Amino acid sequence: MSAAEKMTRRDEIETLLPFYLNGTLEGAELATVEDWLATDPAAPAALEAAEAEFSGALAANEAIRPPADALSRFSRLLEAEAGPVREPRAQSLLSRAWQGFMGLPVGVAWAAAAALLAFVVVQGAMQRPGTGNDVEIAGTGEDAAKLPFVLVTFKPDAKMSDIAALLGDNGASIIGGPTASGVFRVAIAADKAADFDRIVAAISAAPFADTVTVGRKPAE
Amino acid sequence: MNIASDPLSDRELVGRVANGDRAALRLLFTRHHARVYRFVARQTGSEAVADDVANEVFLELWRQAPQFEGRSEVSTWLLGIARFKALSQLRKRKEDWLDDDDAAAVPDDADTPEVAAMKQDKGAALRRLVDALAEEHRTVVDLAYYHGKSVTEIGDILDIPVATVKTRMFYARKKLGEALKAAGYDRGWP
Repeated sequence: MSAAEKMTRRDEIETLLPFYLNGTLEGAELATVEDWLATDPAAPAALEAAEAEFSGALAANEAIRPPADALSRFSRLLEAEAGPVREPRAQSLLSRAWQGFMGLPVGVAWAAAAALLAFVVVQGAMQRPGTGNDVEIAGTGEDAAKLPFVLVTFKPDAKMSDIAALLGDNGASIIGGPTASGVFRVAIAADKAADFDRIVAAISAAPFADTVTVGRKPAE
Repeated sequence: MNIASDPLSDRELVGRVANGDRAALRLLFTRHHARVYRFVARQTGSEAVADDVANEVFLELWRQAPQFEGRSEVSTWLLGIARFKALSQLRKRKEDWLDDDDAAAVPDDADTPEVAAMKQDKGAALRRLVDALAEEHRTVVDLAYYHGKSVTEIGDILDIPVATVKTRMFYARKKLGEALKAAGYDRGWP
């Protein structure tokens, strides 16, 4: 008998929780998990455990910082490769993409938005609120890792400019993500649980926020 | 290529790469390099190897783009290439592939993961316990939680059956739960 055959039904369902959280579960398995979450009193604790693992895995991966000059070094390698030569561009791709970034619907431009955000985080850049339309991307070092945070996904039609305004108004900032399934790790600048709850409620109430999962909450 | 107003999908970019568009490849690099780099670094334990392998992965994309059939997501395809190249590198570098920095990042033998975890807060403990999982368990955890991959996609990347993916995830989560408990933590967040 294989190890898998020894699993109980609950084991099997709990094994699917990571895929429920990352949004890739579908069909009968999704229905099974949703039914279990709605009916089993033990389910919320199990989901909370999976969310904690989610945070741990994100932190473990994001602690690895790719070299800041990776793109330029790769570009030099690429130029040495055979292939048709492209005409020089008047403006860099990153610059052009960033100009349009704030107006992009998250759902339509998800991959580009995610990539740009990840790239800017990697480069250590920070866009500070000034116009009310900037996304503040905090550092991803040890200080950021200790902040209270929530895991947030946004609806496909959410505009990055709206997200920026929401986070800026509430003193929140993106410190990680997005994952491939669109989960952002958002730091909440609150040292009291009541302040934390107020900010989380404001984010949750935004019409373009899809899911908000509490990660680390300050003590009472 | 108008990235700002009409961003191209990964598949469309691969199509352009197949036609020799270096700018499209650089954009794909920007989108996916960090995840590929981290995936290889976690596989091999060496950021130096990750740097080399990640570059090789994107050069492979440059060379193989015309053969991309679109049966999987581009990110899944890249991680599959990265997995293969990382394993090849490990076979080549069985000795002396940990540089000083990498060695410093590996938990020392004096502390078990549980004991080491008790020295830190719960978040840091969980991160360290994820790091301390066996490679085959840690990889499925990373691919699900960090890379957002489905059971099927993880099977494709690692070239293992779906049932094996689930079994590894089951044991990975079981080990994490046991390790957290041994370290004196509840599994959920406070």
